[in-house]
Amino acid sequence: MNRLKTKLGKLELKNPITVASGTFGVENNNFIDFNSLGAIVSKTITKNEKIGNPPPRLYETSNGLLNSIGLQNPGLKGFIENVLPKYATYETPFIVSFSGSTIDEFSEILLELEKYDSISGYEVNVSCPNVENEGIAFGTDPKIVYKLTKQLASQTDKELIIKLTPNVTDIVSIAKAAEDAGANSLALINTLLGMSIDWKSGKSHIRRGIAGYSGPAIKPVAIQNVYRVSSNVKIPILAMGGVSNWKDALEFFYAGANVVAIGTYNFVNPKITIETIDNLNRHFLSRNQNLTEIIGKINGIN
Amino acid sequence: MKNILVKIIENIKLNDDYFLLWIHAPEISKSISSGQFFEIKIAGNNFPLLRKPISVFEVKNENVGFMIKKIGRGTENFSHLKKNDVLDIIGPLGNSFELPSQKEVLLISGGIGYAPLHNLKKELLSNNNNVTWIHGGRSTNDIFSSDFTFTDDGSSGQKGFVTIGMEEILLKKKFDLIYCCGPKIMMKKCSEIAKKFHTKMFVSLEEYMACGIGVCHGCAVAIKKNDSFTYKTVCKDGPIFNSNEVIWNE
Repeated sequence: MNRLKTKLGKLELKNPITVASGTFGVENNNFIDFNSLGAIVSKTITKNEKIGNPPPRLYETSNGLLNSIGLQNPGLKGFIENVLPKYATYETPFIVSFSGSTIDEFSEILLELEKYDSISGYEVNVSCPNVENEGIAFGTDPKIVYKLTKQLASQTDKELIIKLTPNVTDIVSIAKAAEDAGANSLALINTLLGMSIDWKSGKSHIRRGIAGYSGPAIKPVAIQNVYRVSSNVKIPILAMGGVSNWKDALEFFYAGANVVAIGTYNFVNPKITIETIDNLNRHFLSRNQNLTEIIGKINGIN
Repeated sequence: MKNILVKIIENIKLNDDYFLLWIHAPEISKSISSGQFFEIKIAGNNFPLLRKPISVFEVKNENVGFMIKKIGRGTENFSHLKKNDVLDIIGPLGNSFELPSQKEVLLISGGIGYAPLHNLKKELLSNNNNVTWIHGGRSTNDIFSSDFTFTDDGSSGQKGFVTIGMEEILLKKKFDLIYCCGPKIMMKKCSEIAKKFHTKMFVSLEEYMACGIGVCHGCAVAIKKNDSFTYKTVCKDGPIFNSNEVIWNE
């Protein structure tokens, strides 16, 4: 009996562990069997190729990592020709993360991706600037998230996941907007924002200054966001933020996550996903319990 | 590339700043080419978070040597490792130096840039090349065996930068190939000199790195592409690049 089965909207997954977008690629098959994962999420793709931000792009802080990659990716065409075929041979559901600078652009990318049966779902990255709205990130405005989600939901029958940014005043209102507009599930959290400066020279450690902040240090922030969102929506949650082992994953399940993605820790331990699955399996066997029995069952709060 | 646990067989202190870590790694020692590197961490120790990219200094049968300079918490922790301690390594990673035969080859290194050229020299010699090595550093601690030595403070060899030695020797002698590894500013200057003397040069680059396998795109370097440029990864596309392709000012 498989104690780790879970559902993410329309997708039935054999286990609840996947990878966070941008932290995992085909090269990881040197270390793990992709068929063992619950799902695989691609690095975010955009309509046109992006060469990314100037270096330095990375800086490690106390138990965390700052990154400023700038969505470097081969573009939709390059992805379809060179990346997608490499995942088509695996039975594990493949979820494509994509982003755009206008609602039309998101829509156009989705229409193209719809042609490929090897794609099981979409994770919509709404943390990027909206050129039609003064460059403010799509994901910070519930009305825009609603409009975008509604548009994309009308174009696909596949799993539609909206990935939320935590860099907002009220993440619940954004989550509800996505749910109301027809999202099948929500992914959270995208990276926090962070900076780091060399105290001797006053120089930013990251060339572009403000960077995405990930890693074990952000885990409590992520759990809090998952808890708040899961308490206020009915659709399932794909959670990520600082997971470094199976115990961290359990925390997220108790907070309301249906699926958990490991991100930064893939760099520390490339076998972390498989080790987490094995350990979760052992845990639920020893407790004679199924994963789904504990989702959202946080207790001890008065 | 593999992710394996390996035992330390010896940790040799070279001086206060540098040490040489030897591991026993029969699974991978045969598959290493000069210029490649490993992503290294102490097994079971997850602080600092990220692995450290370390070049291969030498391969001796089933043993692999890493020459390391203490520059931060990670490398400081490595310096305290003892025999039988366990490292968690990923590699070999990256591309490698092109290995010619019967050529006149010039090696130029600065500081810890010495490390990847050491194994290369061994391979060049066994492939019937003539090798001349110019090495420089800030001070005596940064100096290791070479044909010509330079220090910023004059405490060892000639006072000044390796670029002085490079110009001098290129004026006297024709080289077919130059391999260079050191601080970015040094490699940039060397690249200008190599261009002036119409000599092909390869550099081994370094950037802040996370995954080591080409997935995260963190270790970007600007590389010429047609009339413009693109960002390539040091970990997968490099660390070795033709110096003419690198955009040093980006």
